[in-house]
Amino acid sequence: MINKTFTKDMRETWMYGILGFLVFLLVWQAACVFTNFGKIFPTPKVSLAAFLQAFVEPIGRHTLLGHISISLRRVLIGYTLSSITGIIIGLLMGYSKLAHAIIYPIFCIIRPIPGIAWIPLAILWIGIGEPTIHFIIFMGGFSQMVMNTMDGAQHVDTELVGVAKVLGAKENQIFRKIVLPSSIPYIFTGLQTSLSTSWMAVLAAEMITAREGAGWLIIAGMQTGRIENNVIGMIAIGLVGLILATLLRNAERRLCRWTVRSR
Amino acid sequence: MKEKTKYIIISIVSLISFILLWDLVSKSGIISAKKLPAPSKLFETFIYKLGNKNPDGNTLPIHIWTSLKEALIGFFFGIVIGVPLGISMAWFKKFDKFFSPLFDLIKPIPPVGWVPIMITFFGIGIMSKVSVIFIASFIPAVINSYSGIKQTREVHKWVSQTFGASNRQVLFTIAIPSAGPMIFTGARVALNGSWVSLVAAELIASTKGLGYMIQTARLVGRIDVVFVGVLVIGVFGAAMMEGLSFLERKLVKGGRRS
Amino acid sequence: MPNEKVVVQNLTKSYGDLLVLDDISFSVKESEFFVIVGPTGCGKTTFLNSLTKIIDINNGSILLDGEAVDPRKQNLAYILQEYSALPWLNVEQNIAYGLKIKGYEKSVIEERVEEAIKMVNLENYRHYYPSELSASMLQRVVIARAFATKPDLLLMDEPYGQLDLNLKYKLEDELLSLWQQTGTTVIFITHNIEEAVYLSDRILVMTNKPTKVKTELINDLPRPRNVASRQFVELRNEVTDLIKWW
Repeated sequence: MINKTFTKDMRETWMYGILGFLVFLLVWQAACVFTNFGKIFPTPKVSLAAFLQAFVEPIGRHTLLGHISISLRRVLIGYTLSSITGIIIGLLMGYSKLAHAIIYPIFCIIRPIPGIAWIPLAILWIGIGEPTIHFIIFMGGFSQMVMNTMDGAQHVDTELVGVAKVLGAKENQIFRKIVLPSSIPYIFTGLQTSLSTSWMAVLAAEMITAREGAGWLIIAGMQTGRIENNVIGMIAIGLVGLILATLLRNAERRLCRWTVRSR
Repeated sequence: MKEKTKYIIISIVSLISFILLWDLVSKSGIISAKKLPAPSKLFETFIYKLGNKNPDGNTLPIHIWTSLKEALIGFFFGIVIGVPLGISMAWFKKFDKFFSPLFDLIKPIPPVGWVPIMITFFGIGIMSKVSVIFIASFIPAVINSYSGIKQTREVHKWVSQTFGASNRQVLFTIAIPSAGPMIFTGARVALNGSWVSLVAAELIASTKGLGYMIQTARLVGRIDVVFVGVLVIGVFGAAMMEGLSFLERKLVKGGRRS
Repeated sequence: MPNEKVVVQNLTKSYGDLLVLDDISFSVKESEFFVIVGPTGCGKTTFLNSLTKIIDINNGSILLDGEAVDPRKQNLAYILQEYSALPWLNVEQNIAYGLKIKGYEKSVIEERVEEAIKMVNLENYRHYYPSELSASMLQRVVIARAFATKPDLLLMDEPYGQLDLNLKYKLEDELLSLWQQTGTTVIFITHNIEEAVYLSDRILVMTNKPTKVKTELINDLPRPRNVASRQFVELRNEVTDLIKWW
């Protein structure tokens, strides 16, 4: 009985899912055929063909995979740097009231500025090139990383710290054995949100200052009037975003099994 | 209490010394004023830009107004369409099954990724920006109202059903109010995303707005104007978030639950 | 049977191959305090949820006042094990909730809420939200919400399971006095035998997995009851033995 209802539900899920997708494709196709939309926008079939072709035929300097891996390398550098500094500063501010009093007011000036808004400043400071893009990605993820880590370090169970003190634990033991582990779920939340903003920041940076990468791909598609490149780029960007998010979620499940918070 | 005052004083001292240090570094030429204008210079530029159209063709208030208008229109439509869609997807199974796969498809594309396509469709006017911001706020609005409704506690539904509530009454008197805090979390994410994507869209292509202002100032090498623009972007972003928090306190009763 | 308020016949419920409720039959009289005891996890909540039609049953019938039970037509109220006060409504609004669902006029609602709020002594807390109230106050809010609708049948699922003893005794006495004042028919579920003997007019003992009716005991100890009296202890032991022998 249970099995039967289960499979029926699954079947419905697939049916409606495919139906929804078909309706989407149909609307897309119809819009291309019957309206002006078709003059600027490729049909689903053309888009798919272009997508597959982009794996072998270069657009600009690289193939699709080449552009994606360039963007990913940039994200990896900027994101790693912003995560490390963000976690350190966040822990510091969450754990030490003195550090909080000193750093927080200055941090508050930077915090509400979107990473993307740093683009013009970064170009003036560093010039056009890889370091600028890394800097922009860094700024994109940094504030969220600090905020989440700080939140975690501040929400440490005070009873636990009290018990540890009674048992004679030293400051640095408390920090390593209690504060750090209990901040980890928050740090992971920070890592997830900051990864998705980093991914967004690299696109924006590449649209404005780069000659290759996923962001360049879609902006070049627009500038040269080859919208199919734009569509290909979006599909690829979406897929990569999905893969990155899934990877991190799995990492979190594995690393903090004791406290995977429901979201 | 005394401890608290101590830390407040430390904070103030820290902030003042930061600004003084900045001023010193810039004025003494350790870092050239072309890279780091002094705070006093930024203040002058700010006052100047309030009424002057140089170097980008519009005064600061006009840029601010343009950006705010675009961000808030897009945000408004994103919420007004996204929240009911999220609620319906969570409440009506068939709706969910129909829309979920499509939604999963567009969800991972960062809003900035939509900028070129929207410009192709709508040109560089207000429509392209509003539609990018619409997407930026629509997605978190759907996700959060969806999971807010899904997290409705069974016991609350039972209470309502036992009093004889219809399906509709359960939705409106139990599920939606209990999703309130989550919906607001979604709105906060949405607002943040709107502001970020707006700046990006204006940087890439526009003729007005704060993003355009800093981009143009960059091209003509007016770093002071860039600085002022960046700070103004930060201030207005923070102010809008505060406004939303205020609205939440007014609308969501009984404290945060999640 | 003129006096029967609730008649349950051959109630059966299974999830797939898993039989949860097996052919349960019993009846409850008007204004009776009817207690069902059974081991934890014996499908009591499933049973109550089938009474309120939250879940569908596979077989059997449940009659209230001679008609098939239906929360949309009849006056039921349900008090659960968990705190079920609605966190986004204040005390007053929580108590008014059932009345609003049932579509009473505003003046009636106000009057009934006033009455109920006094019954549970929460006059000074009417504008408080659940997050600002203690556990016992929350339970009072829920009880007031139930009594405000003047239910034909009040269902209670271990409402005091999570409270400490002192509070539990106090709330039990409050409940008994409300019950005596209003003459409401109550079906009360618990795994606590002392609680069952203290509250009930009649006790239905259930067995575990699948849940079946083991036996029914009449409890006519005079009220108020003394938990230390000989008769009380005897009856309690009798029930304990029955449950042991599942």
